[in-house]
Amino acid sequence: MGDSPIVLLAQGLTKSYGNVQALRGVDLEVRRGEVFGFLGPNGAGKTTTIRILLDLIRPDGGTVRVLGLDPQKDALAVRARSGYLPGELHLEDTETVETILKQFNALRGRKADWTYVRSLADRLGLDLKTQAKNLSKGNKQKVGVVQALMHRPELLLLDEPTGGLDPLIQQEVHKLIGEAKADGATVFFSSHVIGEVEQLADRVGIIRKGVVVEVAETQTLIKRALHRARVRFGGGIQAPALEGIPGVSILSRSADSLTLQIEGEMDALIKALAKFPVIEFETERPSLEEIFLAYYER
Amino acid sequence: MFTIFNQALRRWKWQIVGWGSSLLIIAVYLMWLYKPMVEQQAQLKNLFDAYGKEMLSFFGGTVDIFSAGGYLNFAFFSYVPVAIGILALLLGSGLVVADEEKGTLDLILAHPITRTALFWGRWLALVATLTAVLLLSWLGFAMGLSWTGLDTTAWQVLLPHISLLSILILFGTLALFLSLLLPSRTLAASVTGALLVASYIVTSLASVNDTLEPLNTFSPLKYYQGGSAVNGLDGGPLLSTLGIALLFGVLAWLLFLRRDVRVSGEGNWRLPFLSRKMKAPTTNQAMLW
Repeated sequence: MGDSPIVLLAQGLTKSYGNVQALRGVDLEVRRGEVFGFLGPNGAGKTTTIRILLDLIRPDGGTVRVLGLDPQKDALAVRARSGYLPGELHLEDTETVETILKQFNALRGRKADWTYVRSLADRLGLDLKTQAKNLSKGNKQKVGVVQALMHRPELLLLDEPTGGLDPLIQQEVHKLIGEAKADGATVFFSSHVIGEVEQLADRVGIIRKGVVVEVAETQTLIKRALHRARVRFGGGIQAPALEGIPGVSILSRSADSLTLQIEGEMDALIKALAKFPVIEFETERPSLEEIFLAYYER
Repeated sequence: MFTIFNQALRRWKWQIVGWGSSLLIIAVYLMWLYKPMVEQQAQLKNLFDAYGKEMLSFFGGTVDIFSAGGYLNFAFFSYVPVAIGILALLLGSGLVVADEEKGTLDLILAHPITRTALFWGRWLALVATLTAVLLLSWLGFAMGLSWTGLDTTAWQVLLPHISLLSILILFGTLALFLSLLLPSRTLAASVTGALLVASYIVTSLASVNDTLEPLNTFSPLKYYQGGSAVNGLDGGPLLSTLGIALLFGVLAWLLFLRRDVRVSGEGNWRLPFLSRKMKAPTTNQAMLW
């Protein structure tokens, strides 16, 4: 069971808060050893999904399996093997960072290697002697990152892991996630920062209004999407010759150039263009952001 | 559970020091006061006779205040359940919900501890805290016995503390139960506080007004012995009080097991007259979904 290739499984997850339906049937599969980015705007259901995975809240319907276990029946085993960073991190203000981390470590049976904890703190520029009440939002987030990683869990559930961090520390957190993956951990992280998901995730799931609308390899999703091309002709524009090509549509035209949208392969377009004098040919690969926005415009 | 117990006790150490040392000082002072009071017995009797019995009922009634039990009741045990009850209900109402309202419970429960261990570990820490506070109070009285003429022993003085502890556990656990039932910790503490004061008034006045006796049957303080316990604990009321406290504890535990842990900023259910606000989620809630 522990070696199951599927580390996270959600089928038909539903959850309502009063009259508001936060999840309307979430289906997800996260494979062992991958970094899975869970993308969606605020209010889409990312946090609710993660909190159900740890049995912090109970779903109204559907099935959940984490590391092959039912988090409601085997909460201890699931939590012992997971590291969690909440989206809204709050700490005991009266304690120092070191005391807080020691308290969390005590709850885990003192399994963390304290040398590793210190090295994590050093890499993130976190002073262990500071009282939590004197920490900025970014520094609190660093405490959250350290406590999630310090016991080297096999599953990381990170809700907006770089929220409030400056760009340099964000890069360090990205490195730590990469190292966790290299050590064999599975990483499931939510974000609304598309660049981060594009940079880190092997696969991405897009959640919209409580439903997962797309799950795909990050690169496949980008490749599968529409491309844009701008063509400048030597002898005047040749729009009529391009209009019949399947998957190609003309977005705009000027005296000597066309802007085209291409769905799928470009082969037919390039072969058609070869018949004409082309001075310039530029293509734009769509960013994950554009894909994401396309899903939300549907 | 032991880790949870330790962490909770560590968090409440200053409550133990603050409340315990205050009670210790009060106890020493009251023991010091006993001798001068006995010396002025005649004048004091005249003074108390001038008060109405309704007034005296709030200080243990018309029993002989110069006996050991009467004095301890009059000077301390008659009103102290209300005073220390505040500590009990604040600790009880915040046992779980304070962390939830601060937003720290989410992360604690993401660690490998069961909700049962968290709940009962903290409940035991609540009992230990109240016990420690009352032990310091008892220590103050026990120390005073050497120089006062009070006709009692340290063991006998411990008995009303045990009766008091049972009442404090009851109100602390009731506050805990209400905190898991009502929308906020503040409301739970307020309702428990109101019940504590109402119980004190009803039981005090029932000793001089028989018509209040049916109502008094439901008052927890009716089953509190106060200073009279120096002559021996009445096991029935003591066990009943602890039994009801345990019942509230079990109900609260069952509620906690089924609870969706809120994160800071999220609301619980609201009172009907605020229901219009429920229709739209707060910005914080929306951000967290």
